[in-house]
This record gives sequence, C-alpha cells and structure tokens, in this order.
Amino acid sequence: MEAVRNAFDFSDFPRLDLWVAGGVLAFLLVFPALPHSSFAMTIMIQFLMFSLYGMGWNTIGGYAGQVDLGKAQYNGIGAYTTAVMMVRWDVPFWVSMPVGMALAVGWSFIIGYPLFRLKGHYFAIATIATSLILKDVFEVWDFVGAAKGMEIPIRKNLPDFLYLQFKQDYYYYYILLALFLVGLLYLNAFRHSRLGFQLRAIKDNEDVARSLGIDAHWCKIKAYAVATAFVAVVGSFHACYNFNIEPEDVMSLDLSILIAMMALLGGAGSLWGPIIGAAILVPLKSYLGDWLGASAGLVGLNLVIYGGIIMLIAAVQPRGVWGMVEAALARRRGDHGAA
Amino acid sequence: METLLPELLRSLVSGLLMGMVFALVALGLTVIFGVMDIVNFAHGEFLMIGMYTTLVTAPFLGVDPTLTLPLAGVVGAALGLACYFGVVQFLLRGPMVAQLLGTFGLMLVLRNVALLFMGSEPRSVHKGWLVGQSWLVGPGVVLESTKLAAAVLSIVSFVAVWWLIRRTKTGMALTATSLDKEGARYVGISTERMNGLSWAIGGASVAIAGGLLVNFWPVDPNVGLLFTMIAFATVALGGFGSIRGAFLAGILIGLIVSLPTVWDAFIRFAGLGDFSIHSFKYTFVYIIYFLIMVIRPQGLFGWKQ
Amino acid sequence: MRKLALLLTALMLAALMVPGLALAQAKEIKLGAIYPLTGGAAAEGRELRAGVELAVEIANGVMAGIDMDMAKNGGIKSLGGAKITVIFKDHQGNPQLGADLAKKLIEDDKVVGILGCYHSSVTKTVAAVCERFEIPMINDSSTSPSLTKSGFKWFWRTTPHDTQFTKDLFEFMKGLTEGKAKGVPAVPVADIKTLAAACEKTEWGTNVSETIKQFAGEYKFDLAANLLYAAKSPDLSAEVQSLKAAKPGAMLFASYTSDAILMIKTLQSMKASPKLLWGQDAGFEAPEFVTTLGDSTVGILTRTVFTPQVAQVKKVAGQVNELYKKKTGIDLSGPSARSFTGLHAWVHVLEKAGSTEPKAIQAAANAITIPGEQLVVPWFGIKFATMGDDIGQNTLGTGMIGQYQKKGDKITLEIVYPFNLATSNMVYPFKGF
Repeated sequence: MEAVRNAFDFSDFPRLDLWVAGGVLAFLLVFPALPHSSFAMTIMIQFLMFSLYGMGWNTIGGYAGQVDLGKAQYNGIGAYTTAVMMVRWDVPFWVSMPVGMALAVGWSFIIGYPLFRLKGHYFAIATIATSLILKDVFEVWDFVGAAKGMEIPIRKNLPDFLYLQFKQDYYYYYILLALFLVGLLYLNAFRHSRLGFQLRAIKDNEDVARSLGIDAHWCKIKAYAVATAFVAVVGSFHACYNFNIEPEDVMSLDLSILIAMMALLGGAGSLWGPIIGAAILVPLKSYLGDWLGASAGLVGLNLVIYGGIIMLIAAVQPRGVWGMVEAALARRRGDHGAA
Repeated sequence: METLLPELLRSLVSGLLMGMVFALVALGLTVIFGVMDIVNFAHGEFLMIGMYTTLVTAPFLGVDPTLTLPLAGVVGAALGLACYFGVVQFLLRGPMVAQLLGTFGLMLVLRNVALLFMGSEPRSVHKGWLVGQSWLVGPGVVLESTKLAAAVLSIVSFVAVWWLIRRTKTGMALTATSLDKEGARYVGISTERMNGLSWAIGGASVAIAGGLLVNFWPVDPNVGLLFTMIAFATVALGGFGSIRGAFLAGILIGLIVSLPTVWDAFIRFAGLGDFSIHSFKYTFVYIIYFLIMVIRPQGLFGWKQ
Repeated sequence: MRKLALLLTALMLAALMVPGLALAQAKEIKLGAIYPLTGGAAAEGRELRAGVELAVEIANGVMAGIDMDMAKNGGIKSLGGAKITVIFKDHQGNPQLGADLAKKLIEDDKVVGILGCYHSSVTKTVAAVCERFEIPMINDSSTSPSLTKSGFKWFWRTTPHDTQFTKDLFEFMKGLTEGKAKGVPAVPVADIKTLAAACEKTEWGTNVSETIKQFAGEYKFDLAANLLYAAKSPDLSAEVQSLKAAKPGAMLFASYTSDAILMIKTLQSMKASPKLLWGQDAGFEAPEFVTTLGDSTVGILTRTVFTPQVAQVKKVAGQVNELYKKKTGIDLSGPSARSFTGLHAWVHVLEKAGSTEPKAIQAAANAITIPGEQLVVPWFGIKFATMGDDIGQNTLGTGMIGQYQKKGDKITLEIVYPFNLATSNMVYPFKGF
C-alpha cells in the first residue's frame, strides 16, 4: 500500500517542476488530437519508447551508478518472446509481454550475478560483451528464425487490441503512453523505496554502504532486473509495432549505446532526466537526418552536429541537461539570497 | 596428421600476427587509461584518421606510404592534444558516465567529419613497399608484409612505451599521476601536462598504427568501430593501464579469432561433418573476456579494479 | 532560467506538430522512393536515386531516340498526361526509420505508391506498412527470397531474387563443364566440383548460404566449406584460411562492399588460387570494388542484372545508358538499372490503371505484362505472379553473370552468362593473384 502511496507522492518536487510536468502530460494526452504530421507521430512514439528505455536504464545507470552498455540484449529477449509466441502459437501480446519480461529478468539474474563482481569500465565492457554474445547466438538459432528474424503476420481485422496490430499509429501511441505513465509512477515509488535509498548509498560510497550492512551486490542485481523489465516491455512492443525483427535490428550495440546516451544526456539519477534526454535527442536525430542527411553534399553534417551537442553537454555539465537546469536554478536562488 | 599439423601451424602464425596487430591498436588506449582512468570511445577514429593521413599524403608527397608514418604520428599527437585540451579536460570533472558520453560525442564528430570530407566509399593504397606483398614459408605458412611490419612495429612500440614509462623521468611522472593525482601535484608534477602528454602518446601511437595498416586494410569513415571494440576487450582483458597486459591480451585475442580455422581443420580431419563456427569468431572473444574477468575482476595484469 | 530550460523542452515537443506539407496539384502523380542515401550503403543509394530520377525525366518528357513507350508519352497518357514526381527519403539502412518514412510518405505526402528500399530488412518493414495502409509498393532491388513469401497483396517485386540468382550460378557451372561457355572448351567436372562458400551472416548472406547448399546438392557439387562471417570485422584471415584448406575449385561469396574488398585482399595475400571466384552482386558489383582493387579483380565473376555491355545486345539499354552517363558521369550499373526499371514498371502500371486509386493500381499490377524489349535490363519482361508461393514476384526476370576483364587499360564487366548473351570470351581458369 505504501508503495502505491509513494508512486503518487511527488511532494518533494518544487511546484514549478510539477506544473511543467503536468503541462507536458496534458500535451502528451491530447497530442493525437492536435494537427500533426504522421512523421511527428512516429517521432513521438520513438520518444516514448526511448523514454521508457531510459527510465529503465536510469535505475541501474543513474540511481546505482553502474554504466550498463548492454541493454539491447533484453530488448531482444522481449521482442523475440513476443514474436515467437505470436508466430508459432498465436499468443496475444498481453500474455507474451509479461512472459518476455519474466524471461529477460530471469536472464538478467543469471548474468547479473557474475557481472556485478566487476566495477567501472570493466563492468561497462562486460555488459557490451554479454549483449553481443546473445546476439550472435540468436543469429544462428533456427527456432527464432536465425539471422532472418521473425516476421509477424498481419491479422485480418484491424484494429486488433489483443495482438497489438493497428493501422493508425495513435493506437500504438496511447498504449505506449499508458506504459509510460505506469513506468513513471513505478519509478517514483522506486525512488522512495528501500532499494532506492540503498542504491544511492552505494553510489555515494560503496564501502560505507557495505559497512552499514547493505548487501551491495544483491542490490545492484535487483536494480539491474528492474532496468531489464522496462527494456523488455519496450522490446515486446517494438516487435508488434514493426512487424518484423532481426537480431541486427533489435539487439545491436548501437541500441545499447543509444539507450545509455539518452539517459545520460538528460541527466542520470533524476526522475525527469531520461525523458528530457529522449525529448531532445530523438527529434534532433530525426529532423537533422531528414533536413541535412538526405540532401547530397551534407552527408554526415547532421551527425557532426548531433555528436557536437552531446560532447558539449557532457563537457559543460557532467550531470546532463537536468543538471544544467538545477545548476541554473541554484545560481538564481543564490542571487536572490544575496539581494 | 599431415593435414592437421600444418593447418595448426598456419593458424598459430596467423593468430600471432593478428594478435600483435590488435595489441598495436590497443596500445594508445591503455596508455591513456593508465594515466587518467578514461575510456576513449573515439580511439578507433584516431586509427581511421591515421589511415587517411597516409592515404592522402603519400601520393601528395610522392613518397612510399611507409615513409609517411612519422607524419601520421604528428597528426595523431596533435589531434590527441586538441581533443584533450578542447574537450576531455572538461570531462574529467564529471563521473565516469560523463566521460563516456563526451568521448562518444567526440567519436560521432570525428567519424562524420571524415565522412563529410572523404566520402563513404572505402579506399585503399595501391602502391608501396608493403602493398600486396606476402611470402610462403615452410608448409604453406603465409607471412603478409603488412601484418609482419605491424607485428614488428608492435613489439618496438611496446618496448619503447614500456621504457619511457619505467626508465625516464617523464615516465615516472606519468606513473605518479596515474597512481595518485593529488600526491603528484604536491611533488610539483603538472598533472594537466601529464594528461596531455598521455593523449599525445596515445594519439600518435594509434595513428601510426593506422598509417601502417592502411597498406593492407581499406579505409572508410566507419572502419574505426571495428577495431575499437577489439581494442576495448584487449585493454580490459590485459588490465586497464597495464602495458604488458595489453600486449599479451592482444595476442590471446589474435589466437582466439583463429580458433574457427582450427576447428574446421579438426572436424575435417576427424570427419565430424561440416558445422562451421566462423560466425562465432568474436563471440569467443567476448565469452573468454567475460570468463576471465569474472575470475579476475582486475584483468590479467591490472592492479586496480 | 529554469523556466527557460523547461520551456525549451516544451518547444521541442511543439515543433513536432508542424503538419507535413501536402501540395496537391491536379496533374501530378506522387510516388515515394525510400533508399539508403546515407550510411554504409550511401554509394549504392546515390546510384539508385540517379536511376529513378532519369526514369522520371524520360517518363515525363518526350524523348526521341529512345525506343520505349515511356519515352513517347510525355507523362501518363491515360491520366491526361499527368506528370510523375518522386519524393526521396533516406532510411540509412534502419528498418524502423524506413517504416516511419513510409508512414510519412503515405499520410503526410499522400503518395500514390512506394518504391524501394534496397536493404531487404527495410523493405520488409516498409512492405508491412504498405500492406496495412493498402498502398501499392514496387520493390526494385531487394533480393531476399522471403519478401514474396508473406502473401502480401500490395507488394510487387521486379528484380529476380537470390534463389534464382544462385540457380543461375549452378546452371552456369554446369554449362561450363559441358563446353557451353564462350571461348572455353568443356571444363573437367573434377576441376570445379569442390566448392567453398563464405557469406556474411545477416539476413541476406544467410539466405544465400542456404540456397548455395541446396543447389550444390541438386547439381551434385561438393560443398566442402560453407561458412558465415561478420561483415563488420576487422580481419578475415581465419575465414580465408578455412576456405583455402577446403581446396575448392570454385569460391563463392555473398559480401557487402568493404568486406568484399577486404576478402579479396586477404585471398590475394594468402595466395589462394581457385579456378572460379564468384560473388553474389552487392559488394562485388560496387564501383569501389573495381576502383579499390584495380587489376586484382580481373577474372572475378559476379552475378548482376546490368552491365554497360548489355548495350551490345540490346539497343534501348545503350540509349538509356548514354543519357545516364551524360547526367552522372558513370555507367548504369546493377542498382541504377534496377531502380530505373522499378520506376519504369510504376509508369506502365499507372498507365494501365488509368487511375490513382489503390484498388485500380492493384488490379493493374496483377494483370500487367511489360514486354522485354521495353526494358533496359535483359529480361523477358515483367509479369507478376498472382498465385503460387511467390506472390508478387516478377516471373520473367533473369539474372546474368559478369566477369571483370581488362580491355585496353580499362576494366569492364563482360557478360558470360546467359551463354547466348555472352559479350566476350570467358577467362578460365582464374589466373590467381
């Protein structure tokens, strides 16, 4: 019960934050009703997907401070569970999604146990390694379609809510938005939870945390499992949204890195950070690509700008965009104090 | 037996040569990490720029590509300094995640600037002492000129860097910086300069490697990433910052990637069918990395976790 | 300051709402073309785009001296001379982005149909979008056999697929042993009976690898090594060593551009000496393959659908190639000839439909027969299968096998298969490196 109360307890945020968050939420709710291009809709869906990825990553990467660059493997497990169950046994999305989540979390416990013996850069590179190992296995595993991937057949009568197949994107959008809100509330509860406090203690100083009797190893594994669950759910959704998945597409190193980058850029370790990161990078990438990338002669310029912005933010404020906002606010408060 | 043994010998030689190439590419990364605890995502891009430097300047100057290596080194060192003083020194204030983010951005910028100027098509060096040369030795063992040269360069530069760090005053200052920044500052070492120096050495060594490798490998703006992942695994396996570790880990990885050939020869010899494991070539590298790290979390020769 | 930063985020979101430009003009038929204009296959993307642009130019104008119906009509006659415009989009080799762009084209730009997408993986997701929106899509250049196995009703493919191309290879090798190849006396079967194949390990290469295995069995060849490798690999010496150890008469490859180049370089330095060396298009046909490797390519075979040499046996191909060369400075090649043909097929389908209604276009595409003499590619024509297990596949397409040969100081791709179209004596055996 307390967890539910915590989930809705945003009282520790300044009122301004909540007003803005409320405004953004209202915007998200009515967005499909506003005049928009369908490209904008696909970008919004990407934004929600990457927000969810980022929110998940944030539990292990932000709150626990462990740089995980192997999240794509769980995206793959989620996507493949849904696709395989749908193609082979005709199982609806709402059944296969929790199964995929369970499988992913199970796998995360298996590899998490040895993985968290490692620290820092060793850990980061080991996560890349595990993700690539799983991808290589999926590429030759005939049961899941090997390198050819899985193609989900289109059903006769659309819209189909059981199998998550729609013609119009706004159906996908609202389902994703619902997942997004559930995720946000869960994370808000997570923040207040015992595990949340333990993780922050570990991040601040692991030795001190241990001396206080916190089982750091086990806490990290639990946080890793939470992160995994988020990513696996989006993976399941991705399979239905795209109708076709391949290892190269759903388990690539690029995806792992992108997930981490978005959360980091927005500001790891804060509730809003990953959402801000996705809100900046997803449209930036898509629109820059569309404006500059396709016109000949400027190939690459879009990514130079994109990379430049990432580099700049990292150099100016290590805590990402949210860190900038907070720093600016603190400075203003300081000015007021002096005045 | 007469088919299996020569095949093993061939794989061993080819694996050793390739391993030294991997070690050479990873050297710069381990130097930078050793001094300042930072993983450079843009490492492969330095290699790519070294490759382009030789590709472009050799015909322009009308000299053999091999002679442009010092130039590639200068370009690499300059680039390393520029990156350090332009970006990386600001990243050091933040936690590890900020450094990853920053060097990732740096990687995107360098790669795509190359794309803007050089185009996406692969290019290669056509004329040179090392181009297209290879020799058959003994029972069908092939020695390729570029890989042989890279192996020699690898040994030379590892010895040189080892000597620099262990036997010179600057090297001791570098080591001091890497062990204890505060302490180094107290005894009057400019850690800023030491960091810059490590980036210059790291940049130069990998750019020289690039200048040499372009005699064999075609270059395109995305070539860096192929080597970066291997270099990461090499450096981590050897133990971050360990010069000797990086060299041995490189050779180990070279031997691992020639495993599928050994397997093929073995199953053909034993008549066990034709199941090929080449698609797992790099999977083995990651599996062995994972296993070794779980047993020894500080890497083979590392001293800090 | 904080307000400002948060406001910026909100603004970012608001920028998304700008509605797509929907310019509707009376006499204009809009098609969408989705190609890899940037990323790893950017070079191919450039050619694909140029091929489509030339076809549009020919279709919209009246051009004397080009012997095809499309060049005489000045637009789509049955639609009152309506002109075709093509909106190009860049999918960067990313299936998700491809699907997003297809939605953008269909919903925002209101295109009549889609053309693309080169990468089979992107074509798959785009075809799924088109199927849901019931918008016709013609695929010009993706060769994965599985694309026409889904039974889609809104998807047609003009190019032959990999199963057919691989079959061509085995027909060719069989013919070689029977003395059918131009300028080569019958080759003893034992010379090329042993095969070794290396294919890149994603969707495309895996398919090729499987068909090679299947046909090797059917045609009684001995596949001594059949390995998959990672195209994004810094080193291929282990692969080459395994191929060499199999002591094959013929080496077969399915490679993208940079790995094809690295593969040949490694074969060269390892002194491999097969009698035949064949590549499944893609990397082996890329312009960089020849410019980077130079004389080392002489004697290498590649399957292809077009080489400038086609002009020797087909007049209209020469005429179009002249125009293309004037425009771009290079010859038509596999990608550009196929994208040209893709748009060409669109023109004929629209002409027959006499309407831009999807249903009418669907009916027209299912019924159409475009005779071979209209096309730049040396096919029997275009006619899509409407039943069987390959729905939407062009049944009249054929592949070719070309060989790089040195003519003067230039390297050209000469046709060696089909044997009746051969433009030059075949070089056999492969001289080695």
